[in-house]
Amino acid sequence: MIPDLTAAWGAPRVAAIEFPFGRPLGQPHDVVTQRAVLRATLEALRDIGSPGTVVHLPFAWPEPPDRVHWHPKEPSPIAQLMGRDPSLFKRLVEGDIPTAASKRN
Amino acid sequence: MNSFKYLSPASTRITKSLIRQAPRDPVPWAPLRRPLHQATVSLVSTAGISMRGDPPFDAEGERRNPWWGDPSYRVIPRTATECDISVSHLHIETAYIYDDLDVALPLRRLAELEAEGLIGRAAPSHYSFMGYLLDATELLEVSVPAIIERMRREGVDVAIFVPV
Repeated sequence: MIPDLTAAWGAPRVAAIEFPFGRPLGQPHDVVTQRAVLRATLEALRDIGSPGTVVHLPFAWPEPPDRVHWHPKEPSPIAQLMGRDPSLFKRLVEGDIPTAASKRN
Repeated sequence: MNSFKYLSPASTRITKSLIRQAPRDPVPWAPLRRPLHQATVSLVSTAGISMRGDPPFDAEGERRNPWWGDPSYRVIPRTATECDISVSHLHIETAYIYDDLDVALPLRRLAELEAEGLIGRAAPSHYSFMGYLLDATELLEVSVPAIIERMRREGVDVAIFVPV
């Protein structure tokens, strides 16, 4: 989750949380945290009164960032492609996506 | 709040570029039309979750063409658990979701908040699409209108978008 990105692209109300990718509600089976996060999100929705407001939810992830495992076991296809041809990275950063390539094949 | 806490320097550059590319349109706004304790709530996950009886998201298509992501969507009934689903998202560790669906699509937690009376009810249907989409045109033109139509049919008042 990247709250700055979500807000920049026009989400009406944002409940921002610093949890790792893939587990926005918390750890597996941590029912108490999951319910608290969802409750705080719904309360933010209820309380926010103007478009584009970002509420920072007061939850801290229990592991330091360098101990967090969130990447897939196999690098994503685009990461593998960038590894094979680093010159393509510039296109990705600039949003210069090959038009033919963005179609289903 | 640090949006880039878990991102590599390369991913941070890409993300900051996506933030700069965002249109400066007015932010849309729909007031809550009834109090939360009377509202019908639906969840929308970007985790690429599908029911086992439905086709999974097309991860093989993305492997063939890494610039492409599957722009379709799936309906997830409110009773779904990790036993009923597949997760097709090549950019995150999906093992946590297979272990406990509520880490990304908190259907049991939503049912608890319904029982408690914080919300009126959880909608019958919830939704997922797959969040790796460099070109969101088909998602916005085909998938999102279909999701909205179904939400309207089910009387949904509140859509909670749950990115992963």
